[in-house]
Amino acid sequence: MQLKAKKTNLKAMLTTASCALLGSTANVSAQETWQFDTAIMHYAEVDRVSATEAIIAGTKTFNNDEVLSLKLTIDALTGASPNGATTQPTPQTFTRPSGNGQYNVKAGDTPLDDTFHDTRVQLTGQWTQPLLKDYTVSVGGNFSKEYDYMSASLNGNVARDFNKKNTTLSAGMAYAYDVIEPEGGIPKPLSEMVVGDSNDPNFNDDFNKTRIGSDESKSTIDLLFGVTQVINRQMIVQLNYSYSTVSGYMTDPFKIISSVNNNGESQAYLYENRPDERTKHAFFGQTKYHFDSGILDASYRYMTDDWQIDSHTFDFRYLIPFTNGHFIEPHFRMYTQSAAEFYQPFIAQDEAKPNFVSADYRIGELDTYTVGLKYGMPLGDGNNLSFRLEYYHQTPKDNGTQAIGVLKEVELYEQVDAIIAQVTYSF
Amino acid sequence: MLIVNRYKVLVALSVVGMSGCSSLGVEPWERDLLAKKEMALTSAPIDASLDDHIYFSKEATSGGRSFGGGGCGCN
Amino acid sequence: MSNMVKGDRVVKCLARKGGFTLSFFSMASLCEVLIDTDNEALATELGLIAANEAWRIEDKYSRYDSNSLCSEINEKAGEVVEIDEETFNLFEFSNHCYDMSEGAFDITSGILRKAWHFDGSDNVPSKKCVEALLQLVGWGKVSYSVNSFFMKKGMEIDFGGLGKEYAVDRAVLLISKVANIPFLVNYGGDLAVHGTRKNDDPWQVGIEHPSFDASQSTLVTLRTGAVATSGDANRFLLKDNHRYSHILDVVTGWPVKNPPNSITVAAPQCIQAGFLATLALIQGVDAENFLKEQNILHWSIR
Repeated sequence: MQLKAKKTNLKAMLTTASCALLGSTANVSAQETWQFDTAIMHYAEVDRVSATEAIIAGTKTFNNDEVLSLKLTIDALTGASPNGATTQPTPQTFTRPSGNGQYNVKAGDTPLDDTFHDTRVQLTGQWTQPLLKDYTVSVGGNFSKEYDYMSASLNGNVARDFNKKNTTLSAGMAYAYDVIEPEGGIPKPLSEMVVGDSNDPNFNDDFNKTRIGSDESKSTIDLLFGVTQVINRQMIVQLNYSYSTVSGYMTDPFKIISSVNNNGESQAYLYENRPDERTKHAFFGQTKYHFDSGILDASYRYMTDDWQIDSHTFDFRYLIPFTNGHFIEPHFRMYTQSAAEFYQPFIAQDEAKPNFVSADYRIGELDTYTVGLKYGMPLGDGNNLSFRLEYYHQTPKDNGTQAIGVLKEVELYEQVDAIIAQVTYSF
Repeated sequence: MLIVNRYKVLVALSVVGMSGCSSLGVEPWERDLLAKKEMALTSAPIDASLDDHIYFSKEATSGGRSFGGGGCGCN
Repeated sequence: MSNMVKGDRVVKCLARKGGFTLSFFSMASLCEVLIDTDNEALATELGLIAANEAWRIEDKYSRYDSNSLCSEINEKAGEVVEIDEETFNLFEFSNHCYDMSEGAFDITSGILRKAWHFDGSDNVPSKKCVEALLQLVGWGKVSYSVNSFFMKKGMEIDFGGLGKEYAVDRAVLLISKVANIPFLVNYGGDLAVHGTRKNDDPWQVGIEHPSFDASQSTLVTLRTGAVATSGDANRFLLKDNHRYSHILDVVTGWPVKNPPNSITVAAPQCIQAGFLATLALIQGVDAENFLKEQNILHWSIR
């Protein structure tokens, strides 16, 4: 027999036909089992804070595509953190945030408060399920507690698929409520730190005059709108806009700012004060591209807020698989932010006190970068082991403030180096 | 003149619309690569949550990819 | 109950240079999955995935298994039968093949076997017998929808021309979802490969035909995609020095004249290769020309 329509392109027609068949999802003995991810991560800054964080996360996918995720995180923090005061060419003495005792900082050293050690326990749960045709809904909650801090949050998200699931629109909302109850209470904003003999009978009275209460709270509302688009067989793109508004206590009760004389010499330390409203807008874009040799994950985030902080974050990962199932993934991240309008490295003693001020370098002008490498391997039976090692570098910058007097001779913006090491095991 | 211009705009719009439809996306059976777990937008959620925690406590920006989080008084 | 009968469902694991070969028996063929990994546990896991899927397809679509869905559909010819999505998709594919081949590829043609016994003998059926059976052949006579199927009483469907190839493609799909390592799936000569091997080495596959001398076996070099082979190996009739091949022209009910002994076709997926190989054989003497005109890579043995 002979085909009449010999010239029809059988190859092209067949591709359509067979792909319809093999794209189908025949039931392949679906299993309802838990999948666990465990990880331990150690973060260590040179001469400063170190933190160890352990995670166990379980995900159960039910036959009807409902997904339950639970996660337990425990972390422990120890070490010293900058208290905000400027470096001085002379030794300095500070009162501990609790009011119990004092600590000394050597001449020329960045003042670090070494009282930090805390353990945090966090529980997260999320339930995701399909709803109607093309809709997916997800609700979740989070609770975390540490010695002087409590946070609870709820979130909800709706996603709708369009265009053969090539386009997904999503909208979500989250509400969080945080309470801080620092040992020693909440310092009175812009009051002077009492430095003196803590055994003096008057010391406690003086210290208590700088306190305005035992706890403070803040609440956060986040809105998140996203679109995910499949571009082609190799490429997927996501664009998010998020809006976040925080109201309440955002001051760091442990941070102070140096009040200096004309020669830059520290005369007093004032407790910092931040506005109690903050509204942030963030634009986030991410793409994943499947090359023949690996998978590129690139993202960019722009954030701007009414504290005048603008930031840009670039993140690149490239996963290179080996034929034996192992993979290596280099990672590079770059971040830059402008300073909050009320950021100042120090206050001039003879100038009027601003309403809001903070010398916390983390809301000052800051550049950071991270370079890292991840190595992963399958262990059989669907188990995976991976190692991650990263180097994180912070370069705080002056926001145009001229150093005066003795401050010209010291390092006001000390750079920070940290190592992140992590082991992940999934089973 | 006005009519001609309007016509042009209509044509241009419909062409954009059509090409937008036909060039973006894949058929269900072309999801072989996208279906890999490495191709998920958040392919390593544990890494992402650890990173979020670190950068949340070390920089002034959080969230974007997902909710901004919070939940720690970390220093 | 059906599981009790199928006692020998085991997957064997053999080490070879560069990886492991997992083998099992399904659909009347030796089935192999070659996996390039030094992780034996992973290789075994992947082999099991392929085997379980092959056995699932066999249990569902084999006409030799009286418990299969295929047998159920054939028994209920004359009634409307409920079908699932996978079966609908297989019918859709068969329908495309029927259209593309202008009726030459027909999953209802298996019933002609009742007249033709290709056992190497001279047992050629009578014209009358063949014509009677032809009344029960014709995909155009069935009707089906997403969840139902109907054909008239006496008709039969047979997934034999697609099942093995389908199982190969399903194995590729399932394994590639689990592991990102190179592997080859070979079910009785119908095979597909996936992933890039070390140094971008190709897979070398020898396709043997039991009735031919070894020198005639086809050596295929494959980096990507699939190949399938159609041929009449031991299946033919000899009468008056005329060799009747087992490839039947569905329109006449009689064997095709002068098809190649064997034709191997390359395509992105095994099920495509299988269809093209069969379709080429039906062209008889024109088999190679047909593939050439369609610009399809092939190897033929005459």
